[in-house]
Amino acid sequence: MLKFDIQKNFKINSTSNHKTRTLHFKGELNLSGVCAIFGDSGAGKTTLLRCLIGLEQCTGQISFQQQQWLNQPESNKAKSKSTVHKPLRVATEKRNIGVVFQEPRLFPHLNVQQNLQLAVNKSENSAFTIQKLAQNLGFTELLNHQTTQLSGGQKQRIAIARALLTNPQLLVMDEPLSSLDASSKQLLLPFIKQISEHIPILYITHSEHELFYLSKQMILVNNGEIEAIGEPQQLFLDSELSLIKFAQQGLILNVLVKQFDPVEGLIKGCLDGQTLYISADQAPLTKQIQVKINSRDVIIALKPIEGSSLLNCLTAQVIDFSQDQQKAVILTLKINSQFIYAYITLRSFNKLNLAIGSNVFAHVKTMSIIN
Amino acid sequence: MLSAGDYQAIWLTLKLAGLTTFLLMIMAPPLAWWLARSQAKLRPLIESLVALPLILPPTVLGFYLLIAFSPEHFLGQWWLGFSETSLAFSFTGLVIASVIYSLPFVVQPLQSAFVHLDKTYLEVSSTLGYGKYERLYKIIFPMLLPSFIISGALGFAHTIGEFGVVLMIGGNIPGETQVLSILLFDHVESLQYSSAHQLSFILLVFSMSLLVVIYGFLQKRQQRVLNA
Repeated sequence: MLKFDIQKNFKINSTSNHKTRTLHFKGELNLSGVCAIFGDSGAGKTTLLRCLIGLEQCTGQISFQQQQWLNQPESNKAKSKSTVHKPLRVATEKRNIGVVFQEPRLFPHLNVQQNLQLAVNKSENSAFTIQKLAQNLGFTELLNHQTTQLSGGQKQRIAIARALLTNPQLLVMDEPLSSLDASSKQLLLPFIKQISEHIPILYITHSEHELFYLSKQMILVNNGEIEAIGEPQQLFLDSELSLIKFAQQGLILNVLVKQFDPVEGLIKGCLDGQTLYISADQAPLTKQIQVKINSRDVIIALKPIEGSSLLNCLTAQVIDFSQDQQKAVILTLKINSQFIYAYITLRSFNKLNLAIGSNVFAHVKTMSIIN
Repeated sequence: MLSAGDYQAIWLTLKLAGLTTFLLMIMAPPLAWWLARSQAKLRPLIESLVALPLILPPTVLGFYLLIAFSPEHFLGQWWLGFSETSLAFSFTGLVIASVIYSLPFVVQPLQSAFVHLDKTYLEVSSTLGYGKYERLYKIIFPMLLPSFIISGALGFAHTIGEFGVVLMIGGNIPGETQVLSILLFDHVESLQYSSAHQLSFILLVFSMSLLVVIYGFLQKRQQRVLNA
């Protein structure tokens, strides 16, 4: 359990007047697996994370499991009731958090082995060893290299190993994959997911692919506050949230792979019992894949369309609709347990006589595989 | 060849420079760290004071030190009561003066290294479990080792080369305060040009090779680390 209620004041130096911006984060997390922190740039994701780690000064309370990390009343209140309780601030090095920053930040004067050894020297009874991690992350042959000679992907793998070698009770990652190439991401994502079964992870990301692949829980940060905490699938459907504009562009679905036809380059998949064909240039590596269906690529019909090139036709039910500024209608469609959005014109909406509860056929033109 | 007096002066000079460098390497790192990081209003004043020997004529510094060391003044008087010797015209006096006038040469390379040090390395160290001081001497100082060597070398070399301050407060006592630069001056005054040539050549070669090592090797090494 991670519980926090913190304030952080920023001085904004505009030329004429001094303004302050206050960020206020309050939340309670049952930590297991990956908890993603999601939000626009400048929303305060990194600041939240740095406050939790203790790298940023802030006021308020933070507690993790049985440990109190911060108990610091706001400065003006502190004067009036200074004797009530002593302010408490546990230093970063005492919180036992493994941190992976956006940049690898390896020490340039040491080689790979020595960098990792620094973490080992300060940890006790670690479940990880340098050799094991080097094997799992594929950098055994790099152990004697200088860190300055390595590529970005190699450095980040070592940075992740270093964070794990501290034997952390919580792992914190700030967009660790954002500057890496596709092959490094493909190696690291399953690894991070696997690690999260043993150590809870807080994971900042901009990428909905990473979000849906890794996390069962997400924190939505918006404009210096926590807007919502919950399952990603649910938050992406909640029209009350700031996320909705972004979500309505397209949703991610879990699809079970049935077979792959290399001649046609098609995956035959199963979406909640309904068949789905997805183009792919190679056989998928996992039994379950995630596909993103763009809401503008969904065609709604009252009967199945015959004699067309469309391959995919899903039976669905309209469970909600809303209108945007361009008068277009966004339908929320339910396919058994999963959801898609469809973007149609107001004219079509009226012509088809759609309402909540209507059963429709959703034809999907294209979709993209995410992992 | 070198005379017994020459050897004595060389030994004394090395002793003075070694002791001065040792003291400076204890004092300078915390001072440089503070100068590099502090936002205090007092900082520019302290920084100027440290840098003063760079531009002040050494004789001015020597003159004030001579006065401070004299038994009529507090410092000299206190020392006299403490050790029953005079600070002026003594080896101890020379060490104190050397520490003051070589201070900026040791502080400035360190300060520059600390300023250019990416503070994220400190953050990473703390997330690895290293405390406030531990992260400095276990991670950051080793990372900046070239700068520490440069600082020590510059302090050492500059102490060997100083003339004005030594002349003012040390006088010219063989075995006590007669260092190389003073002895060289003596040789020239008494027209012993071949002895002067020998000492000058030694100093020239020493200084030149030191600077080549600093600029050709150590500085590059440090920059590689700082720009990584």
